[in-house]
Amino acid sequence: MFPVLGVQGDKALRHLTLSPDIELVDSPRHASVLLVAGEIPADRFEPLRRVHDQLPYPFTTLWFRCEPWPHLENVTRIDDLDVLPAALVTAYHELMEGRRESSPRILLDKPPNPWEGAGDFGQGGEGMMGGVPYGRPMAMNMEDDIRDGLTLDSLTFRLGPFFFAFPPGMAAEITLQGDLVQTWKTQRAPYPQSLDPVFFAARKRLVPIAALELARARHHLYRLFHALHLAGLESASLSALRLANNLSTTSTLDGLRRYLSRSGFFRLAAIKGGELGPEQARRIGGPAARAAGLDEDLRSDDAGYRRLGFSPVCQASGDTRARWRQVLAEIDQSLQLARQAERDDVSTSEVDRIETPRGPWLEKRPEDASALLDEILPGQEWGDALATIASLDVAAVAEAPLDTQTTGESPITELSDDEGGPA
Amino acid sequence: MALMTLFVILIFSLGAGILMQCLPMRRQTKPPWSQRAPFLGGGTPDSHAWSRYHIRYYPMTLLLIAFEMEMMFMYPWAVVFVEKGMKAMMEMGMFLAILSVGIVYAWREGVFKWQ
Repeated sequence: MFPVLGVQGDKALRHLTLSPDIELVDSPRHASVLLVAGEIPADRFEPLRRVHDQLPYPFTTLWFRCEPWPHLENVTRIDDLDVLPAALVTAYHELMEGRRESSPRILLDKPPNPWEGAGDFGQGGEGMMGGVPYGRPMAMNMEDDIRDGLTLDSLTFRLGPFFFAFPPGMAAEITLQGDLVQTWKTQRAPYPQSLDPVFFAARKRLVPIAALELARARHHLYRLFHALHLAGLESASLSALRLANNLSTTSTLDGLRRYLSRSGFFRLAAIKGGELGPEQARRIGGPAARAAGLDEDLRSDDAGYRRLGFSPVCQASGDTRARWRQVLAEIDQSLQLARQAERDDVSTSEVDRIETPRGPWLEKRPEDASALLDEILPGQEWGDALATIASLDVAAVAEAPLDTQTTGESPITELSDDEGGPA
Repeated sequence: MALMTLFVILIFSLGAGILMQCLPMRRQTKPPWSQRAPFLGGGTPDSHAWSRYHIRYYPMTLLLIAFEMEMMFMYPWAVVFVEKGMKAMMEMGMFLAILSVGIVYAWREGVFKWQ
């Protein structure tokens, strides 16, 4: 199954990751079922059409908490997270046994440029490299190399918004020269991320620190789960996800930390780069700023936290490795604070100034910082660039808290041709 | 006659192999154009992905060949060393000295650092 993530779709992805019957794949080429999870904004419909048509025949689609396009036939909409895995398995079996027809292609079957018959051999080209052989121009030497002067062909392409290694919803125009990122232009910011409701409650009233810190640790563990999956450490990523889902004040990070050390995560070459300057780190805020040595944490101003003896942990180098060390240190610290706060029944003392896992929330919620990637990523190798993106929490904080609903009103709705919302 | 029989068997087996490959492919239609593009998470490419690419481990492979040639010549040399004596020793010394210049040069160029 290939997931296309809409707004708040990552919750469904995490749920399915732990479902033993579901095999998630990172490319539509390997999938038989396309899951559209969460509401897709209208400006991402065209990319969704392209991804939809990249699934090999036969395939089917399921729409989770999202209105299916009316022109698609035999489309299943599901609103209940608990029945989603079973519905996916059913759809797959029906498709394989021929009881469900394959989804129709949406796009016209035509090449990106007309080419057939043109050129000396009908290949669409002119001379050695000109024209559009087989529908597309050849890669050309367009820009000077920024690494060692060995100029190669530049590849320019747009990636996202449904690329698994990016934050959900983010899209960028990238020029690669070899494996080096030559230019990076973030075209679409990631969807605003929804935080746990306790952070929104903390803006209105005093809340128990234990609940706040457990939610913070869970947020960081979810990010770690994604990064470990990206690093190919599947077993470690599942451990992080299970720990996040079963997090309590008795949880410890020791097992996962040992696992990460032994698996060589901190020795990966890809996490050596991505260094942030102090100003860049401040623009992102939160753990990324503290990983760059900035001793800024609004919890220091809270009397409740001071009573627990809180002082911010920091790293020095500000690179990708320091950010992950910082995240682990903050998870550890949060669990320790939660244990102490639960024992002594300590609550927050501030409502106007709270430190979210994404950064400080003063007058405004933490804002989107994905434009910063345009400065950081050029000059990095592709693997380092993806590791840097995974280590940076750049998405803005959404206006509404994370939807904690697990049971919907209408579990499964079969839509026919004339039903459904706008495409 | 035996050669002819072998030749006929070869032709038949080759023909059967080619048919086994081609017959199922005849019924397959080409994938649609949307599937012939690389997966870019909904994005689009400007050009073909076929491009000149610098293999960063290329100097290291050249160095491997330098070491490999050294070893390759040392095996037969070891056989004739007893017979030829000091003359063979000097010849091998010259050969290794020339090869070492290449290795020292590569070292200076940073070949042993993985890029």
